[in-house]
Amino acid sequence: MTVPALEVLTGGLEPRVAAFLESCVRCNLCAESCHVYLEDRDPASTPAAKVDRVARLYRRYRTWSGRVVPWLTGARSLTPAVLEDLKEAAFGRCTMCGRCTLNCAVGLDPAAVIGLARAMLVAAGKVPAGIQANVAAALETGNSMRIPPGEVLETVAWLEQDLRESTGDPTVSLPVDRPGRRVLYALNPREIKFFPLSIQAAGLLFHAAHESWTLTSTDFDITNYAYFACDRGAQAAISRKLLERAERLGVERLVVAECGHGYRSLRWEAPEVLGRRLPFEIVSFVEQLDEYVAGGRVTLDAARNRERVTLHDPCNLVRNGGVIEPQRRVLRRAAWDFVEMTPNREHAYCCGGGGGLLAASEYAARRVAAGRLKAEQIRRTGAKVVVTPCHNCIDQLLELNKHYELGVEIRTLAEVAADALIPTNHAG
Amino acid sequence: MTVPAAVLLAALVFAAASLARARAGIGSVRRPRYAAARGRESAGVRYAFSTAFLPWAKESASGHLATYLAGIAYHAGLFAMLARLVVTLLPVAVPRGLDRSLALLFGLALACGLGLLAKRLATPSLRALSLPDDAIANMLVDVALASAAGAALSPGAAPAFQLVGALLLLYAPLGKLRHMLFLVTSRRLWGQYYGRRGVRG
Repeated sequence: MTVPALEVLTGGLEPRVAAFLESCVRCNLCAESCHVYLEDRDPASTPAAKVDRVARLYRRYRTWSGRVVPWLTGARSLTPAVLEDLKEAAFGRCTMCGRCTLNCAVGLDPAAVIGLARAMLVAAGKVPAGIQANVAAALETGNSMRIPPGEVLETVAWLEQDLRESTGDPTVSLPVDRPGRRVLYALNPREIKFFPLSIQAAGLLFHAAHESWTLTSTDFDITNYAYFACDRGAQAAISRKLLERAERLGVERLVVAECGHGYRSLRWEAPEVLGRRLPFEIVSFVEQLDEYVAGGRVTLDAARNRERVTLHDPCNLVRNGGVIEPQRRVLRRAAWDFVEMTPNREHAYCCGGGGGLLAASEYAARRVAAGRLKAEQIRRTGAKVVVTPCHNCIDQLLELNKHYELGVEIRTLAEVAADALIPTNHAG
Repeated sequence: MTVPAAVLLAALVFAAASLARARAGIGSVRRPRYAAARGRESAGVRYAFSTAFLPWAKESASGHLATYLAGIAYHAGLFAMLARLVVTLLPVAVPRGLDRSLALLFGLALACGLGLLAKRLATPSLRALSLPDDAIANMLVDVALASAAGAALSPGAAPAFQLVGALLLLYAPLGKLRHMLFLVTSRRLWGQYYGRRGVRG
């Protein structure tokens, strides 16, 4: 069990991660940047403590002093007990949100170090079962919820019919598997299973913008649990399915539905793990919608959303994805009373459900506890609606809403924008 | 060349060679980029080495202002001390006025170093993280700063400064002092990351 994990550390270590491990001086000034530590105040939860767990192994196997005088630098050997400890730190106490990275006084990336720990745990076969099950499902069926193409087609068909009835517009359509369209809109499987209204909302906005677009019934999944697990091989294989589907459909643009890690893993990481440039651009639906609104292709009336709205910034979309202002520009047009949480944008706190934690049931209690900070932020805004362009964050916020009795509604940006949409005349 | 100077020179060569070997050991951090950039890496790197050092740029600094300022003063004194140490090997006369100013800086840095060590020992979460290396590295630097201040005020103390400096240099490749070499790389990577994604810079 320890040997394959050790091979990751000794053979496959990325030079940049080695530089980070060499740079940490254990100043611990990062402690208060971590939402997990702010909640439990356990010294083991500070980013520096989590980095140190990996650094001690690095020193043991990669430095002379760690081999000869291990007591000096705390170097320790990799044992099954150490692996368990590493798992608890890397999966149980970290969402890889990167807030500590942004605030590291030295300038190292603790999230990348946790990524190394997770890669070692992948090699050791110690990934939480819930995360691993999603990886296996995506590799076997093309999506992490094992949804067959027939179910996608059926769901989209009734969504389309419902949309036509509710809008009274018989021209509204949710096209599927149409080659040669400009845009492929790729989904989070949770939308098909649990949140179909977000698909309807996006469809309505595409329709209003007169977009040439399509959905796909196969390989539609933007989520990538192997990215959470830091299993680079599986991550590449999962990303490849959707990207090759987009290539076969011949689209110019892949629009990623509202999903933080889905966006990051496709927009920023997939070209790197696949080692090639892509023949189309990848944007978030948030950016796409901002483009429509700014260009006058979609007109919104904020008066249609009178309740106070606040915005949660998904870490993978904002701090690690660079999509910071588009959602704000859209919300200012779509909501009458939009207020920010404090802190916000790239400084925002993680909701607590990132890094695959929502799928790791063994850490559920800690995940909900670590979300208290976010719950209090929401409560302080006095908002009735919380918008977040991420289905992973939505799941966590729904749980926080219930657990902390916030009494708010959690919605996607598309849903709020669709409610504010002033219909255009397609006949003309 | 005096014996202390020769020892210092040997320690300097050892430290430079060991650190260069450690740096080479991790390999090149450069890698090809395939994802289209949103911002400029160079702008992020400029930010990382300029504005990001301002006390209000990061919570880690603004939330721990005394520690942050002590750290800045400590490192400023350390770099000046290392430069002054090298100068003792050169046939260069340092003006008395400059040496007196340096002695003040070394004294301030020493006070900051001792303060940081005291904080490390007194703060439970920091103490839990600490290793023998943290104390040894800090104390070696502190002793070197004290001897540098002594040598700056009294030229007769220069051989002692050289020997203490040699000890510091011999220790440097063993533990956390290696960060002096790697933090530049880490900080550049930090800037590139945020610059490329359009988050900073």
